[in-house]
Amino acid sequence: MIIAAIVLIAILLFGITFYNSLIGKKNQVTNAFSAIDVMLKKRFDLIPNLVETVKQYMLHESATLTKIVELRSQAGNASLSTEQKIDLDKQISTGVKSLMLSVESYPDLKANQNFINLQSTWTESEEQIAATRRTYNASVTDYNNAIMMFPGSLFAGMLNYSQITVLASTEEERQNISAKSLFNS
Amino acid sequence: MTETTIASNLQNTLIELEVQRKDVSGAKLKSYLIIGTGILFVVAGFLFGDLFLAGAIIGGVTLIIGFVIFSKASKKFSGYRHEFKQRVIGAALKSIDNSLELNYESGLPEGNFISSQLFTQRPDRYNSQDQVQGNVGNTRFSFSEVHAEYKTVTQTKNGRQEHWHTILKGIVFCADFNKNFNGTTVVRPKDFGAAIGAWISDKVSLLSSSDKELVKLESPDFCKKFVTYSTDQVEARYILTPAMMERLCELDHKTKDTISVSFTDSYVYIAFPLSKDYFEPPVFKSLLDGSFLEEDLEVIRFMYSIIKELDLNTRIWGKF
Repeated sequence: MIIAAIVLIAILLFGITFYNSLIGKKNQVTNAFSAIDVMLKKRFDLIPNLVETVKQYMLHESATLTKIVELRSQAGNASLSTEQKIDLDKQISTGVKSLMLSVESYPDLKANQNFINLQSTWTESEEQIAATRRTYNASVTDYNNAIMMFPGSLFAGMLNYSQITVLASTEEERQNISAKSLFNS
Repeated sequence: MTETTIASNLQNTLIELEVQRKDVSGAKLKSYLIIGTGILFVVAGFLFGDLFLAGAIIGGVTLIIGFVIFSKASKKFSGYRHEFKQRVIGAALKSIDNSLELNYESGLPEGNFISSQLFTQRPDRYNSQDQVQGNVGNTRFSFSEVHAEYKTVTQTKNGRQEHWHTILKGIVFCADFNKNFNGTTVVRPKDFGAAIGAWISDKVSLLSSSDKELVKLESPDFCKKFVTYSTDQVEARYILTPAMMERLCELDHKTKDTISVSFTDSYVYIAFPLSKDYFEPPVFKSLLDGSFLEEDLEVIRFMYSIIKELDLNTRIWGKF
């Protein structure tokens, strides 16, 4: 009788721990996802300053600058989902990259301290976004493993938890220090 | 510059020091011989009862003379050691980079060793010396010899017994890191204990009392060798980029024992377990054959190359 009670309590405790850990993992995924959002905002906030600094020098790049400003104003839309923001960030990054590549033709801008600082902050934010994406993917993998393996699969059914797709790795994550190339341009 | 070239540039210094070395080795040998003879007299006194008093007196006097000579030899040695470190090691460092300086009496302070969080065990006995400082571009770095131990006490039939265990005997490298960060990230060798600890911290996070969480990184090579903990998951990945993980693995391949790495207070600390004492002058081996410096130079070059290996001088991440 006592043994049966002990076994029952043990099973119950194990069940509670497992249930809590599943919820913890799900929350971790949500947290990691919002971290991407925070970093994207930080990055979008750099755009006005960057555009302001370069526009006095880069007279022949006005089309690229207009495009970046336009994308930035779209990113300010509160109703955008994080996926849409990630997509916008990709387009902004491409625009900024092409700007950075044309810096060579503007020696005054290249020597501007404000621009140098912005350039390094931009690079910093690029690596920070890559880090948040990697954290998100690690949390998703952890969560997916937990809900797909026994006994997590039992609880997942009860909680209506389903698999989440990881974010595809970006060029920055695949190439080790792509940011460095911006400075060598 | 090769070891032989350095040795030839230092020829005059070495000739002077060789005289000093011979003097030290002679005095040391003499003291060992006299102490040995004193012991023999005392033992003979014990073995042959009739000669006990004579053995004790002659042995005692001989031992005292031996110890006096030994203490004089030790003084001579410390003078010789000082000259060697200042002139020979100092010049060897300058031949690699002009910014390198040896401060042989100071080392990594115990407080810094503890706050580096390279090891979880706090030292009960700590010694650090031979600090080399320098900079490569904007990156200031230093490395010091460290011997840190902790104590365990067991109760036996004969009373309390103290046992000393080594936490680290080797070199701790420290450099200003090229990225801004606020938390602490530690990378420890994945031995059996660390692997079990990581498993528990992953599966039963409630049992973990540490302020750091296990960080599951993507590189299989890196995870095979190391276990990573951090106060901030995102920051750990900001520091440990795929490139940084690869570089740390490469650095680790070059050493016999697995390294430990920590990132805290805007510094990176790397602990290299090594069995040899470096930058010490030879006593019973000639200074003039040029080969005695090889191992020391190898270590200096290796430490100096870390900045390049880990790309610590690339300052493009908002920290100048």
